[in-house]
Amino acid sequence: MSAGLYIHVPFCASVCPYCDFAVTLAGEERRQAYVAGIGREAALAAADGLKFDTVYLGGGTPSALAADQLGEILGAVRGRLQVGEDTWTFLEINPEDVSAASVSAWRELEVRTVSLGVQSFDDAALGFLGRRHTADDARRALDRLREGGFATVSLDLIYGLPGQSADGWCRQLEEAAARSADHLSCYQLTIHSGTVFGRRQARGSLGEAVEPVQAELFLLTHRVLAELGYEGYEVSNFATAPRHRSRHNLKYWSHEPYLGLGPSAHSFVGRRRFWNQRRLRAWQRAVDAGCRPLEGSEELGDAELALEAIMLGLRTADGVDLGSLRSRYGVDLVELNRRAIERFCDGGHLVLDSGRLRPTVSGMAIADTLARELEVGASG
Amino acid sequence: MDNVRTFCIIAHIDHGKSTLADRLIQHCGAVEARDFRDQILDSMDIERERGITIKSNSVTLDYVARDGRSYHLNLIDTPGHVDFSHEVRRSLMSCEGALLLVDASQGVEAQTVANLYLALEYDLEIVPVINKIDLPAADVERVRTEIEEDLGLDSDGAVLCSAKEGIGIEDVLESVVHRLPPPTGDPAAPLKALIFDAEYDPYRGAVLLVRVMEGTLRPGQEVLLMHTDAHYQVEEVGLLQLRRVRTAELAAGAVGYVIAGVKAVSDIDVGDTITEAERPAGEPVPGYRPAKPVVFSSIYPMSNEEYPELAKALEKLKLNDAALTYDKDSSAALGFGFRCGFLGLLHLEIVQERLRREYDLSLILSAPSVRYRVTFADGSVRWIDNPSEFPEPGSIERTEEPFIKASVMMPERYLGQVMELCRERRGAQTNFHYLAVGRVELISEMPLADVLFDFNDRLKSVTQGYGSFDYEMLDYRDTDLVKVDILVNGEPVDALAQLVHRDKARPRALHYCERLAETIPRQQFKIAIQGAIGGQVIARTTINAFRKDVTAKCYGGDITRKRKLLEKQKKGKKRMKMVGSVEIPQSAFVAVLKTDKD
Repeated sequence: MSAGLYIHVPFCASVCPYCDFAVTLAGEERRQAYVAGIGREAALAAADGLKFDTVYLGGGTPSALAADQLGEILGAVRGRLQVGEDTWTFLEINPEDVSAASVSAWRELEVRTVSLGVQSFDDAALGFLGRRHTADDARRALDRLREGGFATVSLDLIYGLPGQSADGWCRQLEEAAARSADHLSCYQLTIHSGTVFGRRQARGSLGEAVEPVQAELFLLTHRVLAELGYEGYEVSNFATAPRHRSRHNLKYWSHEPYLGLGPSAHSFVGRRRFWNQRRLRAWQRAVDAGCRPLEGSEELGDAELALEAIMLGLRTADGVDLGSLRSRYGVDLVELNRRAIERFCDGGHLVLDSGRLRPTVSGMAIADTLARELEVGASG
Repeated sequence: MDNVRTFCIIAHIDHGKSTLADRLIQHCGAVEARDFRDQILDSMDIERERGITIKSNSVTLDYVARDGRSYHLNLIDTPGHVDFSHEVRRSLMSCEGALLLVDASQGVEAQTVANLYLALEYDLEIVPVINKIDLPAADVERVRTEIEEDLGLDSDGAVLCSAKEGIGIEDVLESVVHRLPPPTGDPAAPLKALIFDAEYDPYRGAVLLVRVMEGTLRPGQEVLLMHTDAHYQVEEVGLLQLRRVRTAELAAGAVGYVIAGVKAVSDIDVGDTITEAERPAGEPVPGYRPAKPVVFSSIYPMSNEEYPELAKALEKLKLNDAALTYDKDSSAALGFGFRCGFLGLLHLEIVQERLRREYDLSLILSAPSVRYRVTFADGSVRWIDNPSEFPEPGSIERTEEPFIKASVMMPERYLGQVMELCRERRGAQTNFHYLAVGRVELISEMPLADVLFDFNDRLKSVTQGYGSFDYEMLDYRDTDLVKVDILVNGEPVDALAQLVHRDKARPRALHYCERLAETIPRQQFKIAIQGAIGGQVIARTTINAFRKDVTAKCYGGDITRKRKLLEKQKKGKKRMKMVGSVEIPQSAFVAVLKTDKD
């Protein structure tokens, strides 16, 4: 089983009011130190012995780093870790960083999937979201990336914004399709505490859509995109063809191993999950001192792993592989949950066929409930 | 015997009974300052916290009076609440006199009156004591008037004190010595000792609290309990001086303890008379009546795995609480549990609280019910307190329910609302009379069942806390009883079924349906909640389904946190009860028993 390598690039030109990722506005000096630090961390992590076939540069804003800095990072990990020849490299980018020069530099770095943080094709929505680009910037960036010849061009969109109508959201989806995005990540707006939106929510001046509206929008998204030729292969992810699915993210959902480098990055190796220092300074101090920059770790038992496998599998259209659940974690899901599964199948939330338990679209919409309802045995 | 005085303090709740007891004990030096704690006679946490006395206790104090003579003062601390009137009666019978404690700002209240009548029934000498005279709101003259007019006592002799501030404590002790009579009785006569309470000691079994009326109790004696006809051998006798102090004997007039190899408190009856097997007394002490439960409820553990622990806990509680009864019970919705009988709602609450606190059990209680008398067409009679045993209506000839005589005392201005409240609760023969200026006592004959359901809370609320309430059992009267079932998605939840008067069926069913709709979390399908009599639906609510419950993002860094949240939620689910495919949280079972107003 090949592993995925995730590199967290925490730098941003500004902090979006909805974002709860580990990000920093730190400038050039600390960026340079960070780039060198990733190399050191990669060397320390080589001992884990993983072989990689995906590399994912996420953030933050990876495109905020200069092309040669990205090159240094990719060079370091390719040199120090077992990164295979045919590795698929992903890069998250923001529209304002896209230029003819950057596109060709990223091509040079053998990036195959670019994931563009469009968020919306509506300027008012972009303003609300605190984005630095306009809808036209996003359109131009998208055209450039299309022309750049990447294997997959993906867009991020956010829906469920206050005042956004179902029609308005459909037009967004139609434009994304018309601009021939190969892959879409459509996230319903989630307000996290500790963000600007979180504080506004606490004051009562902002809130998420109410559940019936959320449900309508979710189902609408899956329905409209299916009509436009996108398969909803995960709760928030859509691809025009299986080859455009995010093979890196699929590793998370199918419980394959992954290594995370950079502040706040999580890793899953064997039965162990561990995570890095969330703050850039703490992470930097550790790697500079030649230590793994860990903040915490946990060793997972069968019941915990089985629960994760179900919770993750039920987010995807392919569902849970029952045979693999039995052989890997000793859990016979159907045996343990005959009545519940029958009930969810009758209710149109689950489908049981050819050794897999798959959620329907309305099942995906309540994937967390499904994971809560299904028993995994003793300690679950 | 001339230097012995045995007395109790009777008072309405919060009028300062325990504080006065504390001061008397301190004044007599029965406790070192460093060992003192408030409410020293109340040993249970729950008594101390709620400021109530559940078990009787006694203490023998040595007091040197102003005249220079030494006295043995036996202070018997009694419960104040009507649920425990059985213990109160036994304690009063052990005394020659009582201090009637009245709060200087609150004045005479319902329990004061009820307890005074009890004391007079046993011919006790009464000394009125007006407490809390230091408070700014104290109105000693008004309280004197109330003592004269409401209670018919001479208020000139009322002793003024502030137990909290330690004012007038010696005056109280002097009045005990000079105004209460010494005990009578012949130490050489055949033994007659009244058991007025009992406590459980894990090493010694039941420790009986007794007042020796006649004769003398000694270790080694073969004794006979006259009502239960049980034989025991006395192992040890002694005085209670905040701890057990062994003595050679307890002679007529003494108050103390007896250890006689009695295993559990439930093996004996409070109120029974101890006599000598060899030379028995002719008659037991009069007034014996076994404590009878009047309120019934089924107790289920939240999780079925806790059933054996619940069984063990009830067994232990029973060791020290003879009035508690329990039998196995089972519910289709809630699994195995126990049908328990209680002396009243406070008793129920206390048992529930002790199970929760001392045994860490999470419980569901079914709606409290009284015991009904059902006469069948063939003339046979059955007592029914459990809705699940309610017979087919066609087979019933007549149903009767217990009535009480309720007495409510309040300032005149609340009379209208209280009368309305009594009317709501099917009160009959409601009368009132004026007490002292501005105060009214209302008497109403009411079905006990309607008092169980939050009557006291509602009374406090309509009288802004100024109304007080007491009751005594009257008799059984004809009633029109129906069984109301609560159905969740068509499945009856047997633990929520209840027996109610036909006129109350619809509002009660609607109240239950609405409470359930508020407390059962929305699920991924629509839930219908119905109240029904037989097959006929009389109330209905609906909980709409939810269709979205999934986080937008779940990548490498989100998995651990998300799994932990799910684990926590799964644990929470284990604390829910499944009815059909609907999960009902414990809070729903609790909420339905609450009223609309709180």
